[in-house]
Amino acid sequence: MRGPSPRLRQWRQGACLGAITTLLGGCLGGMPMPMAGLNRQLEMAGTTHDPSLSGRWLALIQGRGAREQVMLLDMERQTPVPLPGLNRSDAQPISVSVDSTGERLAVVRQREGRTELVLYRRSLMSLQPIPMQPEGVPRRVNLRADGRQLAVEVSRDGLWQIDLVDLP
Amino acid sequence: MALALALAGCDGGLFNRRSAAPTGFLGAQNRQDPALSGNGRLLATVIEQAGGASVVLQEQPGGQVIGLRHLRGHQPQSSPALSWNGRYLAAILQQGPNRVAMVEDRGTGNLIRLPLPGASVPIRLSLAPDGRRIALELVEGGSSRVQVFDLGGQLEPDQPGGLAVLGGGAPPSETNR
Repeated sequence: MRGPSPRLRQWRQGACLGAITTLLGGCLGGMPMPMAGLNRQLEMAGTTHDPSLSGRWLALIQGRGAREQVMLLDMERQTPVPLPGLNRSDAQPISVSVDSTGERLAVVRQREGRTELVLYRRSLMSLQPIPMQPEGVPRRVNLRADGRQLAVEVSRDGLWQIDLVDLP
Repeated sequence: MALALALAGCDGGLFNRRSAAPTGFLGAQNRQDPALSGNGRLLATVIEQAGGASVVLQEQPGGQVIGLRHLRGHQPQSSPALSWNGRYLAAILQQGPNRVAMVEDRGTGNLIRLPLPGASVPIRLSLAPDGRRIALELVEGGSSRVQVFDLGGQLEPDQPGGLAVLGGGAPPSETNR
């Protein structure tokens, strides 16, 4: 008895392969894809936490214990960007947030026994304190993507509150 | 440089500030983990309630609470993040015994669960304003690391100038109302 012609066999194999590809594609389409190159960079950086994504920028805190620092990565180039004047050996960052242009970073940090909120402008290399009014202890900060406003979690009288601060 | 020094010397009196509008829940409450939408029209925070920590979404500056369809019943919730127009709200939720990272698409009502590598547990997240990427702080074996995932295959971009997604979701209830 003769089997199917080579042409039919080829068509069947092709159809099978297509079906498998479609099925796999359907499954994989639902999976977020790890950004492998960037994630390798992050693994090389050691312990990293408190990420903030905006535009092509990823800000985070890198290191452990007293040797932590703010790191800003350009995700398109997959390289860290210098932040002159921001990281200090006597300051420990707690929270960081970046705007979508990568120009402004809001940072909560501990320095000389105090917890402070500062705004760093990358093009000016300037660091501007943002005092808590009424007085309070800041913790987590979130900068709006356009950099025009931030929301910060502040402890006052044993209660955590949210302040919204407009930025000039 | 002079400008930099001048700015650095400012005492903070330049800043207009206000407290986030109250949620309307009774009693003094801790509010934590703030997240603003890119256009500033929405604020997500985490409040402590009897049922556990819950994400509350509010319009700004009025403070009207907006219902979230999928989050109810998955306390404790933490680390909310919003896209540019507030179409996407990402957060870390409890699902059975697991901490999971989720994105609620407030435009379509869909909930997208983000599968995580290995036995890692999500601690914090950050969603890019356009919704195309998400960064997760994962803990595995006692050490934390940030990993970034591309969501281009899951979410349509939520770009500046797009339509704001203000209402919708579940009808208000005591949690995630």
